[in-house]
Amino acid sequence: MRAELHLARRYLIGLGRRTNVATVTLISLVGLGLGVVALVVTLALLEGFQSSIRRDLIERSSHAQVRPVSGRVLAEPDQLASLLHQALPYVEIVRSVRGNCLVASTIDAVPALLVGRSDVDSVMADQVLAARLGIGAAGVVDVISPRRRLTPLGPVPVRVRVDVAEVGVPGPGAEGGVLRVPLEVAQRIVWGSAEVETLDLKDPSAPWQLGAKVRRTLDGRDDVVVLGMDELNQALLLALALERILIFVAVGLILVVAALNLLCNVAMVAAEKRRDLAVLTSLGLEPVRIRRLFLLLGLGIGAAGAFGGAAVGVATAWILDATGALPLPRGVFVVSSVPFSVDPMMVAKVVGLALILSAVASWLPSRVVARREPAAGLRYE
Amino acid sequence: MSENNVMVRLEGISKAYGEGEARIQVLKGLDLKVGKGEMLAIVGPSGVGKSTLLHLVGLLDRTDEGLVELDGQDTGTLGGSERARLRNRMLGFVFQHHHLLDELDARDNVALPMRIAGKPASEARRTAEALLDTVGLSSRMTHFPDQLSGGEQQRVAVARALVMRPRLLLADEPTGNLDRAASEGVFRLIRDLHAEENLTSVIVTHNETMAEQCDRIFRLAPAGERSGYVGVS
Repeated sequence: MRAELHLARRYLIGLGRRTNVATVTLISLVGLGLGVVALVVTLALLEGFQSSIRRDLIERSSHAQVRPVSGRVLAEPDQLASLLHQALPYVEIVRSVRGNCLVASTIDAVPALLVGRSDVDSVMADQVLAARLGIGAAGVVDVISPRRRLTPLGPVPVRVRVDVAEVGVPGPGAEGGVLRVPLEVAQRIVWGSAEVETLDLKDPSAPWQLGAKVRRTLDGRDDVVVLGMDELNQALLLALALERILIFVAVGLILVVAALNLLCNVAMVAAEKRRDLAVLTSLGLEPVRIRRLFLLLGLGIGAAGAFGGAAVGVATAWILDATGALPLPRGVFVVSSVPFSVDPMMVAKVVGLALILSAVASWLPSRVVARREPAAGLRYE
Repeated sequence: MSENNVMVRLEGISKAYGEGEARIQVLKGLDLKVGKGEMLAIVGPSGVGKSTLLHLVGLLDRTDEGLVELDGQDTGTLGGSERARLRNRMLGFVFQHHHLLDELDARDNVALPMRIAGKPASEARRTAEALLDTVGLSSRMTHFPDQLSGGEQQRVAVARALVMRPRLLLADEPTGNLDRAASEGVFRLIRDLHAEENLTSVIVTHNETMAEQCDRIFRLAPAGERSGYVGVS
């Protein structure tokens, strides 16, 4: 192995003395490097956006939820809350109720999702709902429930007038059309009594682990089901993961093209070194070691491109993120500039992919070279 | 020549290149024996198969028919890797073109067979330096092939051929590309080392004067004529 390493190193260093091969090798190296840069920067951009979405998700939604196994309301919400508070005193527990309703302003009436929470003491309409209703903060709306009450005129829908205190941004993954109200208001509109549908829990120190902790605490309770962050945001998280995979595959095709270029380059070196290979064989280098030598050559070029490209990619992503060089319109995104976040594991995967492709690209010419009888190379000369 | 004293034995060797009408029969039914410690010259006109014969003896090519035995070992059954290892341990080659690796300096070129054999780099370099000193190139160790004259390049090639202390030296027109003075110098070097290292040498050459300084001459004849040994004056 030492002889092959020694020769591969000398060949790579000596490439500069051979203009044609050196030029093609440089093109292969730059091509592979650019592919790695493109992949690293693209994935850093994706990770930047996805990180901001995940941060927003953690900040604005529940980290775990306790729901009834059957029906819509919890049988003993206070007892459950007390049990959870005892076991997990650092966890924030919110009682909540949800229901569909019609929200009417003086301009229009639109369907909306009503969310009542025990930690809310004023009414908030999200931007989408407020725009449809033509209201702003301090507006007044009527909330009309599908639930009916009996009046002398017959059954009529429950109607409650509320003052909208603020207009907010929809939560991550939410489609808009949400009216957030104090729990008591929601209970009056949806149930007409003090029912609680879910306990929403938050633990900012370990949001992704809270579901499992709550499940352990409520182990043995067969009347409730516990959902963690993964289950609560399954569709959104799946979409994010799918996006990452598809982008990796799509941009990774650049690396495949670069690897094909590398294959041509190694084949060209093999043709140019035909005499040398015959001489090496005559000196006793076995066919398997000739193959290894060419694999090392390809891997050497691939490694230079992969590590160089990774370094440039990481530096580019870091500079773009640190300087905020790509600003975003205010109010549209939750961040002010295009975020880049480099995940070391992701960089390792990209470098690994580039090295694997380099090895595969070198393997074919190396096999052809190793099969030649040395005399053919000497006769050729 | 007793059987124990034979280094190279070829029996019924045939070799052709090409297919169909383009097929050229280079060697047909050739027999040859080279004794241990002998210096044999192979002569003959161009295209008669001298290099092919040397390649077959050096296990660089395979015969179509016939036996190639080196120091009593039938090489016909050996695989590619075994043949390569045998070449590394037992054979030394000097080609008409020096065939040094351009990317290595003189010392690394000479040390290469030892590196291939898995010897430590320091030992290989020490041995290479000693050999380069022997061939009169101690001041050229770190020069690359393109920084050496033709005669110096061929001296490096001779040193490389001998670095593993082979038993059989095969030289294919080793002075074919050199001027007269350089030719004489390189041939004298081969002859001296042949004696000092107790080598068996097979030298393909066009140079009759050089051939006559060998122990025996084997004349390779064109197709239709009979190849065979001729005397040395």
